[in-house]
This record gives sequence, C-alpha cells and structure tokens, in this order.
Amino acid sequence: MSDAYIVGAGMIPFGRYPDRTYFQLAADATLMALDDCGLSIKDVGVVYASSTFNAASMLGQKMLQQIGQTGVPVINVSNACASGATAVREAFVAIKSGLYDVVLAVGAEKNPRGMLAGSPVDGPPPEGLFGSVSMPALFAEAGMVHANAYGTTIEQFAQVAVKNHHHATMNPKAAYRKETPLEEVLASEMIAYPLTKLMCSANVDGAAALILVSEKKARELGLSRAVRLLGSALASDPFEPRNPDMLDPNSVTRLAVAQAYEMAGMGPEDMDLVELHDCFAVAEILHYENLGLCADGEGGAFIDSGATALGGRIPVNVSGGLLSKGHPIGATGVANMVEIIDQLRGEAGARQVDGAKIGMTHVLGFGTGSAAGVHIFEKA
Amino acid sequence: MTSTTNIARKAGNKSVRVGEDGSVWIEGYRCGACGAVMPVQTIACRSCAGRVAPEAYRSPETGTLYTWSVVHRSYPGVAVPFVSAIVDLDGGLSFKGTLKGVPFEALQAGMPVRLVFDDAGGAVDGDGHPYVGFHFVAGDAS
Ligand SMILES: [Zn+2]
Repeated sequence: MSDAYIVGAGMIPFGRYPDRTYFQLAADATLMALDDCGLSIKDVGVVYASSTFNAASMLGQKMLQQIGQTGVPVINVSNACASGATAVREAFVAIKSGLYDVVLAVGAEKNPRGMLAGSPVDGPPPEGLFGSVSMPALFAEAGMVHANAYGTTIEQFAQVAVKNHHHATMNPKAAYRKETPLEEVLASEMIAYPLTKLMCSANVDGAAALILVSEKKARELGLSRAVRLLGSALASDPFEPRNPDMLDPNSVTRLAVAQAYEMAGMGPEDMDLVELHDCFAVAEILHYENLGLCADGEGGAFIDSGATALGGRIPVNVSGGLLSKGHPIGATGVANMVEIIDQLRGEAGARQVDGAKIGMTHVLGFGTGSAAGVHIFEKA
Repeated sequence: MTSTTNIARKAGNKSVRVGEDGSVWIEGYRCGACGAVMPVQTIACRSCAGRVAPEAYRSPETGTLYTWSVVHRSYPGVAVPFVSAIVDLDGGLSFKGTLKGVPFEALQAGMPVRLVFDDAGGAVDGDGHPYVGFHFVAGDAS
C-alpha cells in the first residue's frame, strides 16, 4: 500500500469576503495548493470538497466550473466542524487504495453570521425554555464538568485565549492579530460562564486546500518539501448515556486519537506541535487530556506551565487556532493541516517551532451527533 | 400545573408525554439486554445494537445536577441570565433544561434537583394547542 504524501498546501487569509462566493474561495485555495507543487487541476484524479453548510449545493463542481471542468469524480462532504478532516481522510483513503496518484482535498466556508446553535428540534424554540442550544453554552457546560471535577479556574481557561491570540499576532493570515492580556479576556462580555467573548472562536470566512499524492508521484515531484501523512483517523460519537442531550467532546476525540496514534506507530510524546480544535477556550484544556498531551485533570496546570506556548515543550495552536486565526467551519479541518505542513517544512516564519518533525491536527464536529478527526504528519 | 383549556396540550419536548386524561410524564426507554437508557424510541439498542427495541418506562422526576452554564448572551427575545443545566434523572435519563430558583453562587455539582412541568413559556403550536414543557428546581423546593 502506497504511503500518502502532501505536496501542495494552500490557505487564503481568513476574514470576511462579502464580495466572493464560497466556491470562489475554494478555487482560490485550490490554485494556491496546485501552484505550491507545480501541478495543474488536470493532474487531479478525484476531488473531496468540504463545506458544512454548502456541501449539498455541489461545492466541488461549482469550484471546478471556476478553474477547469476536468470531469473527475467529486465527493462533497459535510460533517459539522469535522468536515475538512473528513475530506482529507477520504483523500488519504483514495491514495491508499491505489486508484489515484493525485487527489485534492479542499474546504471552504462563508460562515452564517451571529452565534451558532445546534440543530433545530420539534416543538417550541428551546432556547431558554430547555436550557441553551447555543454552542458557547454547550462548551461552557463541558468546561464546567472539568472545573467541578478538578478545580480548573476561569483564569486557566482564559489563558488559552491569551496564548492563542498571542500566537496569531505572528500569523499574517489570521483573522484577529491582537494581543489580549488576561484582564482583557476576563473583562470582555460574558457569553456563557465561564466563556467570555474573547474565549469564543472567530466567526469568519475562509478556504484551504491540500494536494495528496502517492509515493510514486511524490518521488517524481521531489521530496524536499513533501510531508508524509502517517495516521488518519475519523470517529463518530460512541454511545454515552448523556449524549446527545449533552454532546460529549471527549469520548469521540479519544476514539479518533487512539486510532491515529496506532496507525502512525507513535504516541503523544512524539509530537513536536499540535493544532487542536479550540472552538472555545475550555475545549483546548479538555483536548490536552483527550489527546494525551497531559494526564487527566492536569489540563489547567498544563496551560499554566507554558508547555503549550510557542517555545514550550509541545506548542499548541501556534497558528492562533480557531480562537484567533478563525473558524470558517468547513475549511477549519484542512486549514489546521496547512499550518502543520508549513511548520514541518520550516516555512512558518515568526511562529516557527524549532526543529519540528512531527505534528498532529485534531477537529471536533457537533451537530445532532459528533465527529472527530485526527491526523499525524511527518516531514518526509 | 392545571389546564384551564379544553384544547389538548402537546408535548413540547421529545421526552414529554401527555396522556388522554391530561396527565403528563417523562418517558425513557431501557434496553432489556444491556440496561442502557435512552430518551427516544430507537429501532435497536443504541448501546449494544441488540435487536429487541428498548422498552418504554416512566421516568422519575428527581435527580442530580451534573453540570451547567449561566447563559448571559442568548438569541433575541430570550431573557438572560438563566441557568442551562444538564440533569441526571434517577433511573438513568439525562436532560438539558433551565434550572430556576437557585442563586448562581449556590450551584453545586451533584445537588439534588427536581423536574417540574410547565407551560413552555406559553408557547402554542400553529393550531393553538398549548405545549407542555419542563424546567428544573432545587430538589427540596416545592
Ligand atoms: Zn442494549
């Protein structure tokens, strides 16, 4: 079975694009990824196109109508916030199958404005009557489980936002590039305790694309900037008694990461950096533990130790993460891989993690169920 | 709560049941093979995939507070702040609901709470049928 390599990566700056469509954004990112490796859309054998909100309107075909209708198969993917990782996972499977030598995975989103909610239900609008259906409340409740069990403080949760906003100041493609000291994070509008506004992800538009190739094709193109995809895992919510009344970020993430580590033949101690799904500041603390970066219950102390900041033992979200780079939902899972690839190539500029050889990405999707994707990359 | 209308009330939530006599209760489903409990009728067991459909049971309305958030920003028209709570009912079901009458600083994981049926904020469906909803109160409240 051929190894899968990433040879091309592209990401547009995240922000607001009022004058461009989601499929134009997808085309922009795709052309960047193709130019990155000197290939043409005519070389691509199959397309996996991710958009949480627009997969059903044939994002991939609309994109090809912009840049070249080569007639290849297109699979449009929607899997909540894990859509992008799902597209890459399928691209990986396509390479592994031996059927294709060059595969495109692209994610693009123009996010709806305002606070995101879970899926609608039958009966009267539930908000306020049956608790809150807002995503901030849902993650706040998950954070409070951690706070109640381990004494994690709002200051520790807020430090995630301080760190990731700091990282974003070094990323010219991040939507928000502004330092936010702890006092400012704590003093910003309270949304759902313990989450203030600056502890919620940046709701923006964006697109990102990767070109995956077989080993044969990678050698033909040259391995100097290639990155090997060692592990690709996707999991759905296993049975948990409270799910889905309380969506569980932990069990589905743990299921995915165990598979990714096994596939890669590695463990958390092997990772040089991680991009994980910090949709809300509390989530990053939970995922330190879910991904095995620290022991259960120690997430609060782990952020305090500085281990996850640039220059620390295992930098997390040096791109700025979803909190400040931004969270265009269907693009997010591809974009955090673009960051890892830039880092493993040594091309990440001011936020470069010294000597990075192995990196991991994680995304978590919540809707009426859950999905998590974990990918592990190694410099070729 | 009492109903002063002769228009039949409707369940305002997937697990609320309204009897022909107007009585209301919470229904859960329990798998006879593995004992797993779920809030809706499924075709097979969600947990063990056993092909005998989990059987309906009438849930107790007492339980404990698992977790919560005090919600300060909501959607237009929704009064804030309020407590969005996850409650584990005795018997195994867990629900999200609004917890009322407890000062925010007195909230404690594991505190006893009780489900109380209500009129779902006065909501009615398109034909004027009033909904039956619920919220939670501290377990020792009346
Ligand atoms: Zn069962």
